[in-house]
Amino acid sequence: MEFIDYYKILELDKSASQADIKKAYRKLARKYHPDLNPNDKSAQARFQQINEANEVLSDPKNRKKYDKHGKDWEHAEQFEHAQRQQQQQSGRGFGGGRQQSYSGNFDDDTFSDFFEQMFGGGARSRGTGRSPQYKGQDFNAELQLNLSDVYTSKKHTLTVNRKNIRITIPAGVENGQTIKIKGHGGPGIQGGPNGDLLITFNIVNDTKFKREKENLYTTVDVDFYTAILGGEITVDTFTGKVKLKVKPETQPGTQIKLKGKGFPKYKKEGQFGDLYITYQIKMPTNLTPREKELFEELQKLRS
Amino acid sequence: MNLNDLIAIDELCIRYKVEHTFISSLSESGLIEVISLEQKEYVHCDKITEFEKMHRLYHDLNINLEGLEAIQHLLKKLKELQKSNLQLRNRLNLYE
Repeated sequence: MEFIDYYKILELDKSASQADIKKAYRKLARKYHPDLNPNDKSAQARFQQINEANEVLSDPKNRKKYDKHGKDWEHAEQFEHAQRQQQQQSGRGFGGGRQQSYSGNFDDDTFSDFFEQMFGGGARSRGTGRSPQYKGQDFNAELQLNLSDVYTSKKHTLTVNRKNIRITIPAGVENGQTIKIKGHGGPGIQGGPNGDLLITFNIVNDTKFKREKENLYTTVDVDFYTAILGGEITVDTFTGKVKLKVKPETQPGTQIKLKGKGFPKYKKEGQFGDLYITYQIKMPTNLTPREKELFEELQKLRS
Repeated sequence: MNLNDLIAIDELCIRYKVEHTFISSLSESGLIEVISLEQKEYVHCDKITEFEKMHRLYHDLNINLEGLEAIQHLLKKLKELQKSNLQLRNRLNLYE
């Protein structure tokens, strides 16, 4: 386990006063607080480090212990651990003098293994200076699904904090979209409302179709002669094959629209987007002398 | 409007240890919506997350009401940009 330099995290040197620590902490908290950096995991991770550094350095006992052992903390760990167990058994715990810590609707209790090893869970001084909470914590979850899974509304069972929640994921949900399941977050405090469960979808495309919102796109090969003379081809749609008439003299890159053959529209039952098919004309190769002769004849007719 | 979904402002004042004037100021600045019903004032439970955020920024980070208004405005813009960025990234898949 690596040593964490809490002074470096708070951009301070070892001689920093309590006032300096408080000032540095506030300054960095204003910069990295998750409320001010929505959907920014790196800012949240940084804020957790800052919180942890403040937890240690703003508490004189914790700071003294941290300063005493420094990088050699691992050698002292065994002795301290025994001491700490003694203290916990006698109900006194460790720490408790935290100056101020910022809370929020995020997991700000995730402290490093280094902190847990050096100070133990008892060192957390929850409560002092924290914003009071009433509503339960919102839980954030990420769910990975295949594109083919979200073509129809399906029931899924999710396990959140060891509880199974059965939810219906509406057809047409988009990559990166977040849906809120009301009341399935942490329990409310003193009669407050429960938090919500926020699920963000990571949709992996397991099909040959490309998708933009409710429209699908694909490219289909059409042989040269069918493109020139017209004809019929069979193409795949998301739900099966369809026959299409190809007009004579169809140009490469021609795009046709199959209305209603796209993806379901989110929360609009029975409504679908369109499927756009781009024709890619396959030119003949390995021409025989006779074929070449005929093409030359055609060329002469054109010039 | 379902009364069960509403939280009385008096209750919020007790739970969050704030003055009534703080909530009134947030409401006047358009930062939270206060609902008046039968001479009592409430906040919808869906808006509590937003209220808690304002409370944290105000009390924990020492940001005043004018600052909260500016932050709220910028956060709204940021979220719109994040949404547009996501849509563009999803669209980019068409060309990859």
